[in-house]
Amino acid sequence: MEAAMLQALRDPAGVPSHPVIFLVLGVLTWALHIAAVQVMLGASALTLFGAFKQDAHWRRLAAAMLNTAKVAVSVAIVLGVAPLLFVQVIYDPFWYTSNVLSARWVIAFIVLLIGGYLALYAFYYRNPDMRAASTRGAWHLVLSIVLMLVVGWIMHVLSVQMLLPEQWMQWYAPAGHIDPSGQQLHAYHPARFAFFILLSGAVTGLWLLGYRRYLMGREDGHPAEDPTYIAWLKPLALNLALAGGVLALAAGAVWMLSLPEKMAWFATSAWMGAALVALLAAVSFPRLLGARLDTGLWGYAPFALGAVALIVVAAAREALRFITLLAAHGYDALDYKLNLDWYSTVLFFVTFAVLGGVVLGYLLTVAWKAGQTKGVYVPSPGLTRLGQVGVLLLVVWIVQYFAVGFYVWAR
Amino acid sequence: MDYVGLYPVWYEPGIGSGWIVGLIATVHVLFSHTAVGAALFFAYLAHTAYRRDQPELLDFIKRYGLFLLVFSYVLGSITGPGIWYSTTVASPRGISALIHSFVWKWATEWVFFVIEVVGVYMIIYLVGKVDRATHLRISVIFGLASYGTMLIIIGILSFMMWPGKPEWFTEGGYLNGFYGANTFAQLALRTAFMFTMTAVVGGIVAGAIKDTAFKREITRKLALLGMASAVIGGLLFQWYMATLPETAEVIAQNRLPEWFSLSLVVALSVIFAWFAATWLRPGLLTPALASAMTLVVLVFGLWPEETARESLRKPYVAGQYVYSNQVIARDVPGLGIRSEIPLLERQGFQHSQVFVPQRLKTVTAENAAEVGHSLALTTCSNCHSLSDTGMRPLAGYFGGNRDVAEIQVYLQGALVTGNTLYMPHIPLNDAEAFALASFIAGMNRTSPLHPEPRRVAVNATAATPVTQSQE
Repeated sequence: MEAAMLQALRDPAGVPSHPVIFLVLGVLTWALHIAAVQVMLGASALTLFGAFKQDAHWRRLAAAMLNTAKVAVSVAIVLGVAPLLFVQVIYDPFWYTSNVLSARWVIAFIVLLIGGYLALYAFYYRNPDMRAASTRGAWHLVLSIVLMLVVGWIMHVLSVQMLLPEQWMQWYAPAGHIDPSGQQLHAYHPARFAFFILLSGAVTGLWLLGYRRYLMGREDGHPAEDPTYIAWLKPLALNLALAGGVLALAAGAVWMLSLPEKMAWFATSAWMGAALVALLAAVSFPRLLGARLDTGLWGYAPFALGAVALIVVAAAREALRFITLLAAHGYDALDYKLNLDWYSTVLFFVTFAVLGGVVLGYLLTVAWKAGQTKGVYVPSPGLTRLGQVGVLLLVVWIVQYFAVGFYVWAR
Repeated sequence: MDYVGLYPVWYEPGIGSGWIVGLIATVHVLFSHTAVGAALFFAYLAHTAYRRDQPELLDFIKRYGLFLLVFSYVLGSITGPGIWYSTTVASPRGISALIHSFVWKWATEWVFFVIEVVGVYMIIYLVGKVDRATHLRISVIFGLASYGTMLIIIGILSFMMWPGKPEWFTEGGYLNGFYGANTFAQLALRTAFMFTMTAVVGGIVAGAIKDTAFKREITRKLALLGMASAVIGGLLFQWYMATLPETAEVIAQNRLPEWFSLSLVVALSVIFAWFAATWLRPGLLTPALASAMTLVVLVFGLWPEETARESLRKPYVAGQYVYSNQVIARDVPGLGIRSEIPLLERQGFQHSQVFVPQRLKTVTAENAAEVGHSLALTTCSNCHSLSDTGMRPLAGYFGGNRDVAEIQVYLQGALVTGNTLYMPHIPLNDAEAFALASFIAGMNRTSPLHPEPRRVAVNATAATPVTQSQE
């Protein structure tokens, strides 16, 4: 595929801000998305494991992880919208072609994701309190996990196919005969897929440490307080983080050794080195902390470092894509035609940073504190003021929408 | 060699890719509009509950909210990106045009969406766990953020029909594309009907309430909301239609099926009658009947509305400059966009496309039908099924004609000139017109739509469609 062809596939409308902004936002939001996906997968797996145990601690963990998985799917979907948006902005020739060539699977993705999510809810409705009753309908959860892995596989294939423009014509028109069915998944890299899936073990281990710290922070006399459960969680979380990390790194090594020729540079690149260091640091950090894990806010630090490591991994993944397409196909994602639009650019960043920051800061703080409080939680005056400002910002945003809109309409 | 940026084509012979997009979009409208209406309704109920000290209203919020977690926040949150995915494979340049003009608007909507998803969990699970003022504040935040998502998507939907201001073509700018009469008419219309959907779907939850007095109260609240919004929505529909481009009006009169208006009137009447009946006899409301009414709204209200919206913007798919067949149809100096028609006229479709195999670039006697198939995929299949089923089957427009020369004359008269209402300008050169005609003639030979050969009254200056229309 010639560079001129790839250029022709770009949208002629250009982009409303410098492409590097979309590149960076794509990396950051993809990291958040994959973190939610990995927590969801890990939480589902722990729920399934606990579903076949009689031990009280395992039953309690399974119940908590079932709720975690339910919310994590929501969060993964919501957060996944952003990188899906940004990839279309600067990599449209690659993303759209890859999707069209496997169109039936793209449509199947929607159906299977709905199926996986509903199966998770079906399991929840059959097991509203796993601590109090034995497990019913475990096959729903198995089905959910399988379907989630299948939709992950579809996304994986679409991401790999977009890196191989030299094969697109062969897939679309084998032997020169057009096949518009979109029924094939054409290219995949099992070791790459395994790396991201196995990494969910490490991420979930770090998540469990945060969960444990959250339980430790509850008010004295909270009905759910149980020191033996908190003590039981620690080795489980540490071992899970370590095992997940080791397995993911093993899969990652296979991935690096099996990269196609045009991507082989990546295995010895600084990007790969940085990702490796970040992951090793994240996995070993909780063990280095030792007893400090139980003091102050240190219990949350491993997951925070894990999130940073995922951002580094996301940046390395992006570098693999950006540099491969530039070096092998002459496609520079940063030279996209610019049709600068200040209003929509500024409105987004103000909405994101100010409105989103205030409102989500308020909501998440209330949710956090309410969960740690015995009885009814009443926010402090300062937090309440933050909520009032959040409401005001929402009203101001809506007023500006209509004010600007009516002005433009009447102009 | 210059290229036009046409992507590979996905063609689904069973029902056509267009209908798959339509199906996903239609169910998403039900899920998402219900959620937005419910978010505002919840804010009202929470306010009433705390003002009158009626905790049972909070219980209803919790029940309806739990229902919506699956109905809107599982099914709706997946079918939303699902529309992106389906349009990506069915109409990549259509969705690309929207994405590239409105990426920041979608990103802004995403901020509201994140708040909405956090809010729905909190409004459900924090009932009784936070003080009343805090829960009410969360309800208000949830309602406003949810409505914020609608405010944003409406401007993009309006742009699909036509840019808000004509200056957009010459000056560009997000504001000129986003805001216009159609934006506000559509916003008002959808705001009304979202409450109708909230009331209809809410019946599924209210119908299961055991306490008779409480069921009466909730049922009547929903019925009043439903009746008022259905009537207001019906009136606003006139405003909405008045804000459509002139071509849409002509298309509405000539191309929409006769049952379209009737279907909407009947659906609205049945919905109004349903609410009136449940207001008078709340005991009538059961989850099963409310579910049936939800299906009525979906099949007889939303499906015709969504398919009409798709038809009315023909031959364009976005912004009155991207044709349904993905070709850039006109210059947009404001964004530096050039029409691709001159290049296609100069080089032909086959030589201008990226995704055409070498052996099909040039038409020969041997490959004419196969080149025609390739051309039909590119230029026709987005709106016309190439099989006997699905959206507007192509074979149905040629009356079973098997005469290649006659079909070629028709194609060159009706499409190459670009003078046919509702149809894109398709600048086929002589060889390509022959190839496409060969394919269509071959299709007519095998199509059960026309078991007997018939001749179409083809006019050499055929600026009008053939008479055997499927619509």
